[in-house]
Amino acid sequence: MTTLLTPFHYEYMVKAILVSGLIGGVCAFLSCFITLKGWSLMGDALSHAVVPGVSLAWLLGLPFSLGAFVAGVLAALGMGWVRNNSRLREDAVIGVVFTSFFAAGLLMLSLHPSNLNLRTIIFGNILGISDPDIFQVLVISAVSILVLALKWRDLLLYCFDEGHARSLGLNTRFLHFLLLALLSATAVAALQTVGACLVVAMLVTPGATAYLLTDRFGKMLIIATLSGILCSVTGAYVSYFLNGSTGGCIVVLQTLIFLAALVFAPKHGLLVARAQRRAAASATA
Amino acid sequence: MPDTDPPLSIEVDDVTVAYANGHTALRDASFTLGAGTICALVGVNGSGKSTLFKSIMGFLRPVRGRVRIAGLPVEASRKRQLVAYVPQSEDVDWTFPVSVWDVVMMGRYGHMNFMRIPRAEDKRIAHECLERVGMSEFQDRQIGELSGGQKKRVFLARALAQRGRIMLLDEPFTGVDVQTETAIIELLRSLRSEGHIILVSTHNLGSVPEFCDQVVLINRTVLAFGPTEQVFTEDNLSRAFGGVLRHFRFDQSTIQEHDGRTVKLLTDDERPLVFGKDGHLEYTERHGREELVKERAKEAGEQ
Ligand SMILES: Nc1ncnc2c1ncn2[C@@H]1O[C@H](COP(=O)(O)OP(=O)(O)OP(=O)(O)O)[C@@H](O)[C@H]1O
Ligand SMILES: [Mg+2]
Repeated sequence: MTTLLTPFHYEYMVKAILVSGLIGGVCAFLSCFITLKGWSLMGDALSHAVVPGVSLAWLLGLPFSLGAFVAGVLAALGMGWVRNNSRLREDAVIGVVFTSFFAAGLLMLSLHPSNLNLRTIIFGNILGISDPDIFQVLVISAVSILVLALKWRDLLLYCFDEGHARSLGLNTRFLHFLLLALLSATAVAALQTVGACLVVAMLVTPGATAYLLTDRFGKMLIIATLSGILCSVTGAYVSYFLNGSTGGCIVVLQTLIFLAALVFAPKHGLLVARAQRRAAASATA
Repeated sequence: MPDTDPPLSIEVDDVTVAYANGHTALRDASFTLGAGTICALVGVNGSGKSTLFKSIMGFLRPVRGRVRIAGLPVEASRKRQLVAYVPQSEDVDWTFPVSVWDVVMMGRYGHMNFMRIPRAEDKRIAHECLERVGMSEFQDRQIGELSGGQKKRVFLARALAQRGRIMLLDEPFTGVDVQTETAIIELLRSLRSEGHIILVSTHNLGSVPEFCDQVVLINRTVLAFGPTEQVFTEDNLSRAFGGVLRHFRFDQSTIQEHDGRTVKLLTDDERPLVFGKDGHLEYTERHGREELVKERAKEAGEQ
């Protein structure tokens, strides 16, 4: 019993668990929009494209979230621009833009060796998160939650039917930018917990899981957010005992839940689908 | 917001629209519609009907000319929820986790507060509109789990729920069964009597005289515009369609004198468009058009 409570005796573990839970929740909420809008790859791209921003911010002595956020938004705008001005497909554009950003970041980091550890950026370091970094995460999360709580219906309409959103007089260009900005901001926050490599899991898997479980967007938001928080908190907690990577634990947990949903989902699950097809076949026979 | 309602109108003024590939889809198109009308937009495939709708919505910017709605530029009219638009085909992701009810509710967004929280009034209107298109029993269905015609009806309901006083319907009847079409036409008539403007494109020529009081004939420009009786002439139609219409000439058919006027005409979906001896339009119902019958009898008698 006491061994189960040991992680809570360490302040760094408590912080890690709480911060992971917060970030996990915000990312999961946003993941519903990202998966439905078809921006999953974009999330992956942005999380890598923020690297040069981080190194530049460090060189200039600015908060590293700021640099990451600016780089993320620039990359997103760059992708939009290349797509609109060439006949390339979206995936090719994303591939070209994000690798260029990532390469620039690597180059900068290697030319100006710093105490900014590349490993930290790529794999995250939630156990060693500093108080200023926690503060940044708190601000990003608070702003994202506020914006999403107020505007999720507009964003939903924008993702579902852009033409109709426009015909109602909604500013679709603003909504597009808002979603991109939220994506960049949360990617930056998630960078701290799981690192650039696994950010996309936080931004996609909970939404994908919830989508398998329901046909209503409202419910999808709730399921995704709950599973996001649960996985992050549990993952961080379990990582203490496994003595393994926190990010790895969180994402593996998310994947397990996703697989469970894929097989057992009440309406769209593999088992139900097979049973229904059998039932239909035997009824006609 | 106490709107001092401006008089309703659509003014299309010398509009020329070109696409990015350099194709000029519309050239110098002009017409004006005033309050309380159902106007048909008729032309062959590629004549620019959808293009015209998109420029009235402001989705395509004319290279020349301008569109004004109730005296306002199109962007301003959109903000005022004046216009509801049902495109020819919905460009949406059908696997999206929204129900029929959610979609119709989206039509009410413009009337809701900043956070888009529906009030009782919004719910009442959404129910009523679903009822009107006969889709109430499907309200909890996921939007992709409907037939093509049912999807169309849901998006019509959404446009109705917008309560725009101008409705732009791009081929609303294709793929919709006769019963629904009749119900929708009935609804459009009642909207007209409330002073709404309805612009509806259709390939179903026979139904035009039945419910449209005005017609815009287009083929990459406006060929003719005005009241149905004046515009829907054989001459104009053959100009718009260039001889591609199907004909059934009674005088060249096997119908003989002794058949009199008891010949029956059946069609599956499209209503027949029938012209009389002098090339004037014939209607399906005498009832309600006694004046016209009398007038034509007089003309024939005097000759
Ligand atoms: N996105 C586009 N880019 C380039 N040309 C286009 C585009 N959309 C339409 N066109 C062209 O513009 C012309 C008018 O098209 P439009 O869609 O307005 O026709 P329509 O009258 O609605 O036809 P239909 O009866 O088939 O619906 C056509 O010649 C078409 O090829
Ligand atoms: Mg069209």
